Amino acid sequence: MVDVDLSQPPFTLLDDAGRNRVRGGVDLAYFDSQEVILDAGQSGEFVFMIHKGEVAELDPTMPAAASRIGHYTAGDLFGAISILNGKSRYRFQAEQESLCYLLPKALFQRLCDDYPAFAEFFRQSLTHKARLLTERRAEGGVTMAGFMLARIGECMREPLVVDQATSIFDAVSTLNASHADSLLVCDGERFGMVTKTDLLNALVIEGLTQERPAIEVAHFELVTASAEQYLFEALVRMTRHEVARVVVVEDGKPVGVVELTDVLSFFSSRSYVVSLQVEQADSLDELARASARTPELVRALMAQGVKLRFAMGLLAALNGRIMAKAWGFAIDEAHRDASCLVVMGSEGRGEQILKTDQDNALILADGHDWPEREAQMREVTEILIRLGYPPCPGNIMVSNPEWVGSVSEWRERIARWAARRDGDSLMKLAIMLDAHAVAGQTALLDQVRDELFERCRRDEILLSYFARTALRFSTPLTLFGSLKKPQHGIDIKKGGIFPIVHGVRTLALERGVRATSTLDRLDALAEDGRLEASFAEDLGEALALFTELRLRQQLERDGEGEDANRVVVQQLSSLERDLLREALHMVKDFKQRLSQRFHLEYS
Amino acid sequence: MLRALRRASDRRRHAEGEYGWLFHPYTGNEMVAIDCETTGLDTRTAELVSIAAVKVRDGRVLTSESLDLRLQRPASLSGDSIRIHGLRGIDLAGGDCVEAALDKLLDFIGNRPLMGWCLDFDMAIINRHLRPRFGFDLPNALIEVSQRYVRDLRRVHPEIEPNLRFEAVAKALDVPVIGRHTALGDAVTAALMYLRLEKGAMRGD
Repeated sequence: MVDVDLSQPPFTLLDDAGRNRVRGGVDLAYFDSQEVILDAGQSGEFVFMIHKGEVAELDPTMPAAASRIGHYTAGDLFGAISILNGKSRYRFQAEQESLCYLLPKALFQRLCDDYPAFAEFFRQSLTHKARLLTERRAEGGVTMAGFMLARIGECMREPLVVDQATSIFDAVSTLNASHADSLLVCDGERFGMVTKTDLLNALVIEGLTQERPAIEVAHFELVTASAEQYLFEALVRMTRHEVARVVVVEDGKPVGVVELTDVLSFFSSRSYVVSLQVEQADSLDELARASARTPELVRALMAQGVKLRFAMGLLAALNGRIMAKAWGFAIDEAHRDASCLVVMGSEGRGEQILKTDQDNALILADGHDWPEREAQMREVTEILIRLGYPPCPGNIMVSNPEWVGSVSEWRERIARWAARRDGDSLMKLAIMLDAHAVAGQTALLDQVRDELFERCRRDEILLSYFARTALRFSTPLTLFGSLKKPQHGIDIKKGGIFPIVHGVRTLALERGVRATSTLDRLDALAEDGRLEASFAEDLGEALALFTELRLRQQLERDGEGEDANRVVVQQLSSLERDLLREALHMVKDFKQRLSQRFHLEYS
Repeated sequence: MLRALRRASDRRRHAEGEYGWLFHPYTGNEMVAIDCETTGLDTRTAELVSIAAVKVRDGRVLTSESLDLRLQRPASLSGDSIRIHGLRGIDLAGGDCVEAALDKLLDFIGNRPLMGWCLDFDMAIINRHLRPRFGFDLPNALIEVSQRYVRDLRRVHPEIEPNLRFEAVAKALDVPVIGRHTALGDAVTAALMYLRLEKGAMRGD
């Protein structure tokens, strides 16, 4: 028996007996530097587990510079695929003197037979491996991962539909008989929602008699979803629209209702509790308390292995609600109707999971008179700081008059920026492109954005200048395509997140895509035909990976965001390293496409 | 010289016996790394606590074909040696008696050459127990890893006085020390050192 570290996947998929079989069955071998361990075409006799040293995976059919496919270091595994395929496709060569554990083929095959999960691990493709990693993070919570993958159709209940002649009395009896909280009233082709609260208010507050038809109290603006959507999206929708049920619609007909209680019975996390606190807050202090709980919520979602895209959606909705609420506390209703508060930057894209800084601006209706505006805007900034949104170092905040203006002023600014196209103007255009309205008259923002698209999307020179920024930082890959490993880590924001976000933003501007989140933009660009669907999906996955890595570091360091963008490659597990390398290759590929499209090769 | 004479006489006496095959010259390509833990450092009084042996073939340490024997608690097992090898009296409950253990060991190593770290010490103790019970010393060819190291080092850096501490040599050869002061761990580490020396770890640079 030898001491082998079997605490990493795939060995965690074995039980103790299985691990003991591995311990009892492995041999040790030394390989000299440059020694070929397993040649292409050779049949695999062992699974190799590196104890010490480095091994390169080479494709001998390729020219030397491009032949390097993979790189393995201590703790990594190779040779398993060769056994499953019968022979090795590539050459494995020791880069340093390497000490490997050798797991014989026969034992490996027996383990595969006895532990299907173990065998499955080796048959997974990279994306599958990524999913495996996520599930593993959901400590003991396969149910949670199941929830994230659950569709609305799996959780909805039959809609309770009554005709328009039904009286309030009958409606209440029907609800009681079927233990439901709401029913749909059908009036020819329209459907209206009647909840228990509506009925109670009708009887008690408005004093209607029991014989009156229930349709009089029905709401016809339904919050709808389709049965194929993820259950999580229903929750996002409920949060955003402040309702407790979503109607599932197919071909314009209601086929089911998802009640909040149903979702909660699946999902006993704190997300609803926090959003409830936000909604119920009627003073700034209460709002601040609710707002302070969002990092905790993020932590919980991450621990449960929630897909980042949905976590971001939920958090963006929540942050939007918090800001709208704060806006409501600070500003008179008269002014609210004539202005629009927008958030920009990562918040505007809905990609800010932790509150890093506030980027916001104000758009006023033309001709609206607001004398005490400046003082009130300073107050808004103060309030947001109290709610946990640190001030923006670039001073892109409503307290700065540069970021406040009427629609026509904004139009002038955009025209000026587009004409000047220096670094500062391009940055401001980029910021404005990501603007998203959180409170007030959203139509005002649409007018400004119309102008922005109109002015910029056909201007090839501007687009070329705009796109160039995406190439500003080099991708942290070596000449041979493996990860760079500086001591202080690689900057994942500059090397990975920024090129994707900005490149996609550029393409969105070119194609007039109005979505603001990068993932939505990718979807729209794929639909538009600008990008192949598979490439768009890969880019989205890469972005999600970078964001997740960064988020994990932010959570670990608890807000001291200085170094959170630095990922020290040596500290990642081999699986994560593999994923990171693949993702960075996607970035490199994307940059190449950008430079071709916008003729940046020589700039 | 004395050893050679003794082996010749052992061989003649046991040629027809049960263990005669041990005296045949070895023709295979395997070797065995061996190590034992004892109750003391004096070869005249120390008792065996555990013995381990691991085969080496084709530049590989066959840890899957290894022997790790625990013996019955010897009377001289004391705190001092337990501190080193970590085998308490209770850990040795159910261990083999010396005779059974040596029998298993002979079966395992056969006539393969033996290697080890400070092999003389291990040999002296094993032979002290072997001779009264079986009537011969281990006849196998011996490879002393520390000597190989000194030889290779002298060839490349004659001016360096070799540091012959086990850990220091392991470090110089870039070999991980696996389970120091367990019989199997030391045997495996010694085997790895030998493989490194065979591949020219010292000569290369």
